[in-house]
Amino acid sequence: MIWVETIINGILYGGLYGLLGVGLALIVGVMRVVNLSHGEFIVLSAFIGVSLVGVFPGVHPLVLVLPVAVIAFGLGVALQAVLINRVVTRPDPFAAILLTFGVAVVMRNLMVEIYGADLRHLQAGQLAQASTGIGGLHVGVLPLSILALSVILFTGLQLLLTRTRFGRIVRATADHRDVVRLMGVNPGRVYNLAMGLSLALASVAGMLLAIRASFSPYSGVERLLVAFEVVVLGGLGTFWGAMLGGITLGVAELVGLRLDPNAGPLYAHLLFLVGVLLRPNGLFRVRT
Amino acid sequence: MTLLEVQALDAFYGDFQALFGVSVRVEAGETVALIGANGAGKTTFLKSLVGLIDRRRGEIRFAGEPIAGEPAERISRLGLSLVPEGRLLFPSLNVEENLLMGALNRRPGTWNLARVYELFPVLRERRRQSPNALSGGQQHMVAIGRALMSNPKLLLCDEISLGLAPLVVDQIYASLGRIRAEGASIVLVEQDVKRAAGAADRVYCLLKGRITLHGQARGIGLEQLSRAYFGT
Repeated sequence: MIWVETIINGILYGGLYGLLGVGLALIVGVMRVVNLSHGEFIVLSAFIGVSLVGVFPGVHPLVLVLPVAVIAFGLGVALQAVLINRVVTRPDPFAAILLTFGVAVVMRNLMVEIYGADLRHLQAGQLAQASTGIGGLHVGVLPLSILALSVILFTGLQLLLTRTRFGRIVRATADHRDVVRLMGVNPGRVYNLAMGLSLALASVAGMLLAIRASFSPYSGVERLLVAFEVVVLGGLGTFWGAMLGGITLGVAELVGLRLDPNAGPLYAHLLFLVGVLLRPNGLFRVRT
Repeated sequence: MTLLEVQALDAFYGDFQALFGVSVRVEAGETVALIGANGAGKTTFLKSLVGLIDRRRGEIRFAGEPIAGEPAERISRLGLSLVPEGRLLFPSLNVEENLLMGALNRRPGTWNLARVYELFPVLRERRRQSPNALSGGQQHMVAIGRALMSNPKLLLCDEISLGLAPLVVDQIYASLGRIRAEGASIVLVEQDVKRAAGAADRVYCLLKGRITLHGQARGIGLEQLSRAYFGT
């Protein structure tokens, strides 16, 4: 029974991992850029959340997810417009990688400067411990809400891209950046909005993760790792693949922890390694 | 009214000069052919018109307005529409979505989704399919339809017969008649001299970035054309 509960909780947290990765997947898909500062923005969002909790002590952290997401959206637009748009048109992919790497280093050190190097945590109060009985199993209320939120956001993103005019423009810009200019579309502006969206999604994941695990300014690298694994495991260019990749990692991590409490996320990373060796194009390669 | 007036256009890719003093005129309602061999500069010429070439020199006037220095996004709103070489359809979008992209810059006029499906009925059947599932001729139809959706005053067609069977090219060229009847002027860029000259009022010939011949389509002999085309 406890194994079933573990697996179920793994699935629920896996949704969170999927959310960590989907923003990265969006940017890779739209502009072929790997944003190496993605992890730092995830952590920054958590720090902003902590600051907001300080300013509004009566408000539950989950409610603060929305303003943090809005702030992250703005940061994403600014990052793209001011920095990344300068290098995104170059055929050489290294320029963007080096740039985002530099941004990550600067952000990390700024966060140490502003917030200090101590470990932090977002308190979710009762919610973090509460569990509910479903079919005789104990399932955490928090992970359940997280999964629900992840599914809603994933579905929302999918609908945005496939059913709206904006989504059409984004997909067309990803296909042929020059041809869309013939239709009056400014690719730079499309990229700005995509990056804003990417970081907004990452910020939601960052806030939710901060409730579950403690973080410091140096946690960005580990978050980026998870995001990266999710994207690669799921198969580049698919969002539901990222979700499923995240779930796979989540289950692997929790099951691994039950087997070996000192393992940390080792089993998740091992699974990633095996997965990439066996299926280099991703476990769930779907033609989108 | 002179719809398009190009005076002494030079165009560069970096340091490489692709066009030398090209002057071309298109009157409203005309179909003008621009012929030339591979690499003569035909596509460069069209790209210069729509604003996709960064380094240009010379004057370009469209409906009286100077557009030589303008970015592509702004030029696209003035009524110039390009059917690019190689179609360049959006593979992540289905046929209908590709057509709808063309409507982003819609000017008032007769062309809309329904009319494009009337012109190319096979596209209505395949509108939810990916462009990759279509034949070459059908892809050309989507590219033309996409360019029509903005109701252009001037339609620029870059090698719309390339790689297609003669019967399919007949179909494509037949549609040009309908397009012309609805009021658009057309620039036809082609390697196929007979096709282009047959469909056009006037012909220009481009060789290594320079205009080598210009005249009424009916009046030009094959030998004259050959010389201008090959430079012999």
